[in-house]
Amino acid sequence: MSTNGIVLDALGDWTRRQIFDALKNGPQSVGELAARMPVSRPAVSQHLRVLKDAGLVLDTKDGTRRIYRVDPSGLAGIRAYFDSFWDEALGRFAAEARKERE
Amino acid sequence: MSTTMTEAIRKTVLVDFTPEEAFALFTARIASWWPVRTHSYGGDNVTEVVLEPGVGGRLYEVTADGEQDWGKVLAWEPPARLLLDWQIGEARGTEVEVTFEPEGPGSRVVLEHRGFSASDPRERYSGGWDVVLGTYVESASKKA
Repeated sequence: MSTNGIVLDALGDWTRRQIFDALKNGPQSVGELAARMPVSRPAVSQHLRVLKDAGLVLDTKDGTRRIYRVDPSGLAGIRAYFDSFWDEALGRFAAEARKERE
Repeated sequence: MSTTMTEAIRKTVLVDFTPEEAFALFTARIASWWPVRTHSYGGDNVTEVVLEPGVGGRLYEVTADGEQDWGKVLAWEPPARLLLDWQIGEARGTEVEVTFEPEGPGSRVVLEHRGFSASDPRERYSGGWDVVLGTYVESASKKA
């Protein structure tokens, strides 16, 4: 899982996954996210930075606030990753079946 | 399923196994074929891959450091069907369904990985973003 390793790591943390899932319901500010998470605002910011670095979320400025949203190309990347992931895994599965039949 | 079909990954392989044999190879003997080097967290350090039989069974890798979950069995219908809650990466909301059908002297194995949509359909109440994202994923997958 090397290609999208950073994406997988970014979503490997429970709190980050909660934040990512919350953003799937629509764009939100750090303050809005922090209000519904059991972690501090700085911690939410830190998690958002990791998600942003992984290409999973985007941010835009709205006055003094920063609004975060899911980056659709990040999700498309995960899908593309698993598309080749399953090609190889199923290829191995079929190869093993062939080997055992011989 | 309410999941949009266009966004699902769908793969088919034909094997010279009966569905019973193919199901067993896919599940009980997953460690014999799973490409752990590239398809795991631990890579070369992975010593075992386990898919526990039955609903609620865990799919996980084992290294010297311990176990790392990959998924959980949602449906266990040997030899026809296996449904997994997939927990790697985009952890929540994606699922992997594998079906085993007799075809000629062997079997047709179809794997579908779905749920790459913006959100769980039950949560789609908050305006247009999900629609936009859904359209995006749909066109992206058409191109693929």
